[in-house]
Amino acid sequence: MPKPISIESWEGFMKTMNRRAFLKTGAATAAISIAAPIFDKTWFALAAAEAPGYFEREFAVTDAVCRRILAKALAKGGDYADLYFEHTISNYLILEDGKVNQAYSNVALGVGIRTVKGEQVGYGFTQELEEKSMAAAAATAATIAAGAAKIPPQGFTLLKTGDHYPLKILFSAVPLEPKLGIVQSVNDRCFDLSPLVIKVNAAYLDQQKRIMVVTSDGTKAEDLQPRIFLNASVVAEKNGRRERSGWNFGGRKNFDYFTPAVVEETAQIAVNRTLTLFDAVQPPAGEMPVVLGPGLTGILLHEAIGHGMEADFNRKKISTYSTMIGKKVAEPFVTIIDDGTTPNLTGSINVDDEGIPGQKTVLVDNGILTSYLHDRISAKFYGIQPTGNGRRQDYQNYPVPRMRNTYMPAGPASPEDVIKAAGKGIYVQDVSNGQVKIGEGDFAFFVSQGRMIEGGKLGAPIKDVNIMGNGPKMLTNMIMLANDFQFYQGGAGSCGKNGQTAPVGFGQPTVLVKSLTVGGTRS
Amino acid sequence: MKKELYDLAAWGIETAKAAGANGCRININSARTVEIGYRERKPENIKEASTKSLSLEVFVNGRYSSMSTSDLRKPALKEFISRAVAQTKLLAEDPFRTLPDPKYYQGRQNVDLEMVDPEYATWKPESRHAFVKAIEDSCLAKGGDKVISVTAETTDGHSESLLMASNGFDGYAEITYFVGSASMTAKDEGDRRPAEYGSAVALHLKDLVKPEVIGEEAARRTLALLGGKKIKTETLPIIIENRVVERIGGGLVDAMSGRSIQQKQSFLADKRGQKIASDFLTLIDDPLLKRGLSSNPFDGDGFAAKKRIMIDAGVLKEFYVDWYYSRKLGWEPTTGSPSNLIIPPGKRSVAEIMKDLGRGILITGFIGGNSNSTTGDASVGIVGQLFENGVPVQAVAEMNIADNHLKLWTRFVEAANDPYPYSSARVPSLVFRDVVVSGI
Repeated sequence: MPKPISIESWEGFMKTMNRRAFLKTGAATAAISIAAPIFDKTWFALAAAEAPGYFEREFAVTDAVCRRILAKALAKGGDYADLYFEHTISNYLILEDGKVNQAYSNVALGVGIRTVKGEQVGYGFTQELEEKSMAAAAATAATIAAGAAKIPPQGFTLLKTGDHYPLKILFSAVPLEPKLGIVQSVNDRCFDLSPLVIKVNAAYLDQQKRIMVVTSDGTKAEDLQPRIFLNASVVAEKNGRRERSGWNFGGRKNFDYFTPAVVEETAQIAVNRTLTLFDAVQPPAGEMPVVLGPGLTGILLHEAIGHGMEADFNRKKISTYSTMIGKKVAEPFVTIIDDGTTPNLTGSINVDDEGIPGQKTVLVDNGILTSYLHDRISAKFYGIQPTGNGRRQDYQNYPVPRMRNTYMPAGPASPEDVIKAAGKGIYVQDVSNGQVKIGEGDFAFFVSQGRMIEGGKLGAPIKDVNIMGNGPKMLTNMIMLANDFQFYQGGAGSCGKNGQTAPVGFGQPTVLVKSLTVGGTRS
Repeated sequence: MKKELYDLAAWGIETAKAAGANGCRININSARTVEIGYRERKPENIKEASTKSLSLEVFVNGRYSSMSTSDLRKPALKEFISRAVAQTKLLAEDPFRTLPDPKYYQGRQNVDLEMVDPEYATWKPESRHAFVKAIEDSCLAKGGDKVISVTAETTDGHSESLLMASNGFDGYAEITYFVGSASMTAKDEGDRRPAEYGSAVALHLKDLVKPEVIGEEAARRTLALLGGKKIKTETLPIIIENRVVERIGGGLVDAMSGRSIQQKQSFLADKRGQKIASDFLTLIDDPLLKRGLSSNPFDGDGFAAKKRIMIDAGVLKEFYVDWYYSRKLGWEPTTGSPSNLIIPPGKRSVAEIMKDLGRGILITGFIGGNSNSTTGDASVGIVGQLFENGVPVQAVAEMNIADNHLKLWTRFVEAANDPYPYSSARVPSLVFRDVVVSGI
C-alpha cells in the first residue's frame, strides 16, 4: 500500500481543526474521530529540572505497578511485552490577517500496552493511568497469546541514552509574550519585504513529549523529546496573478533558537520563494536528467529507498528491496544513512518507542545495500540486533520500523559542475510531499519550486510539477554528487505510515540523477 | 451515555461562563473501536480501545482559543477551563470571532439518517475473526501462485458525539461502522512486487458485503498491475476510476472553502456564477443522505444541514463558507466543509465507455502529486491500464498527469454509471478527453 510522506504545514493543521467534528471513513482505513487526549493539571507548572522518574513523580507509576501490568500482559504467555507511557503537551499560535488571534493546545496522556508473540501483536491502550484501567488494556493485549503465563522481571534497569537535543528551558516555562512576539514579527517582516505581499499566515508550534518505555526484558527508558517550528506562508499578487509559498525553521531545538536573525531569514525565504513563482513556467513532460538541490530534496532518499528498507516490509517480502541485501545498488561513491543521533534535527531520538537507544544505521555503504531498519519484531525475525527504528505516533499505536533522519553525505564535485553535467533537464529546489509504492519501488515527489536547466545552466523558474521514478533504478542513476551537503533545518517534516505520523529529517548534497519522469503539461 | 454527555457539556458551559468566558462551544466524543488483522492465516494484530475527548472553544472579550482534553473528571476539567479562559485573554482581539447567529441553528431536519445499526452488539469477537479469515482465504485463493503476501483486516466501531454552544445550540450524533479490507502483494518480473487493496465499509451489518467480495477484489486489482511499465508521453482520453476520483476532485473542493477564498488562496475566489467546468459536471453536497458516511443533521457550527448544489452543469453555485469566514468575507454563510459529495451517475458502464473510446488510459490509482489551491495547477502520478479497442492491453506505472483545474474540468465529458458506495465521495468513474499522460 502507498506510504505517503508530507511536509506538514499549518494549513494542514487548520484543515484538521475546521473539519466536521464527526466521523469520517476512508476506503482502506478505519474510521477516525478527532483525537483529544488528557489535559493535566501539571501543564502550566512543570518541574524545571528533568531528573529521571517523571511518570512516577507525576502519575505514581512505580516499578511495582509496571511489574503488575506486565504480568497481566503476559498472563497468556507471549514472547515479550512492553508499556509505553506518554505525556505530550502541544501549543500552537496562529496568525491570520495581521494578528495572533488564535491559540490551540492539546495534551496527550496515556499508556499503550503491547504483547508480542513471534510476529503477532496484541495491543490495548488507555487514557487513564490508574491501575484498573491499565490492567484492562493489558488484558486486551494478552489475547494475542494462548499459553501459560510468564513472569515479568523482578526489577528494571534504567537505559543509558545519548542526549541529542538537550532542552534548557521547558517550553511550558517560556512566557506567552515572546512566543507571540516572534509570530507577529515574522508577519510584519514579510509585509515589509515586498509591496506585492497581500496575505501572510504565520504559525508557531512548541511540543514537549515525555515518554517512558518499560519492557518485559527488564529495561526502563525515559526521554523528553522537544519539537518546535515557526512557519510563514505568503500570498503575493502581481498583475492580477497570485502565487503562494512559504518556509519554516525548527527541529528538536530550544526556544532561544528563534533569534531575530532566524525570524528574519524565515520571512526572507518565504517572500523570495513566493515572488520567484511569478516568473515560473511548467516544464515539458517526459524523461530527462534531474538535478536535486541540497537539503530538503532528501525527501527523495526517504521515498526512493528509505521506506523500502523498513524491515517489516522485508520480512513480509513485500518490498522491492527484500532480496537485495549485500548487493550493489548504487555507484561506489553513494552512501545513505538513517540516523537518530544528529544533534537537534526533527527526526532525532535518544531512544526509540520500544526502549532501544537512538543510533546511526548505514543503509547503503559505498554502493552496497547493508542493513534494513529494524524494530524488535523484525530484529528477532532476522536474528540480529534492533537498530532503534521502532517508532510510533503516540500511545494509541504500536511501534513499527520508521525512519529518523535520512541522508546522503557529500561528493567531490562543485554544484555548478553537477548542473553543467545535466546539460538539459530540470533543477529541483523545493519538494512539498512524496509517496512510494513499496512493492514496485515506484515513487513520486512534488516539486513546488525549481528551475529549468538549459545549456548546462540554470534557466527559468518552474513550479507545481510531480516527478516520478523507480527507487532501485533511481539509485543506480545517481551519477554525480556535489560538495554542498545540507540538512533540511525545518521542524515540520512528518512521515505517514500505517495511518501513523512521525517527525523525520532529511539531508543531501546537490545530486545528478540521469533520468526521471517529469510530469509537465506539454508533450 | 447520551445523558452523561449532555450533563457534562451543560456543566462545562456553566463553568466556562463562571471563569469569565462570554461564550463557549463544547464538543464531546466517545468512541469504541476494535481492529483485527490476519496474515499467514493467523492474527497479526488485535487492538481494542475506548477513547473519549472533549474539545472546547472559548470566546473571551473578543478573543478566541481552542483546546482539547480527554480527562473528563470534573475537578481536572474545571481547572482546564479556567486556564483556557485566562490564556485567551493574552491573544489579539478578533472582532469576527463570535458564536454563530442562532437563526442558523433553526430548521434542523428531524429525520432518522439511519447512522446506527441496532444490531451492532451482535458483532462478536468470533464474528470478526470469521469475517477477516474469510477475506484472507478468498484473496489467497484468487491470487493463487502469484501471491507473495496477503494481509486482511477488519475494523468496527461505535461513536457518539455531542456539540453544544452557550447561545442555545445542542446536537447529538451517533454512528456505527464496519470495515473490511485486504491488501495483496504479487510476484512480477524482476524485483517488482505490485500491491493493491480491496475494501468495503458499511454503517449497518446488513449492508456489509460478503468477505469474499473484498478478498477477491484485492487479488483481482493486484493481478491487474502485473507487468506495469511506463509508455511514451501522449495526449489521450482518460477514465478516472470511481474510488480514486476524490484525489483529483479534492483539488477543486479545497479551493471552494471560505478560508481559501478569504486568505486569497483560491483560484475559484471570483468564479461564483461562472462556468468552471463542462456541462457534464454537477456536484451536490448532501449531508442528509441516509446511511451516508458523512451524514449529519447539523454542521460544525451547528447550522441546520441541507442539500446543496455546489456546481450545476458546470456553473459554480456555492462555496463552503463557515460562520467565521462568512463574517470576514461579508458573505452569507453556507456550511464550513463538505459532507457527502455526489456527482450524478451517467448511463454507461466503464466497459462500454472504454469500447467507445477505443484507446485511452483507465486510471485506477494515484501516487504522490499535489494541487495548488491558489493557482489551480495540479500534477499527480498515475497507475492503471492502457486500453486499445476498448480492452486493457498493458498495465501502466510510473506515469503522470498534470493540468490546471480550470482547464481539466472543461474536458470532462462523461460520468459512468458506477457511484462508489464506500466513501463520503459517492462519485462515479469520470471521463476526460485530451489529457497529457507523461512517461518516457
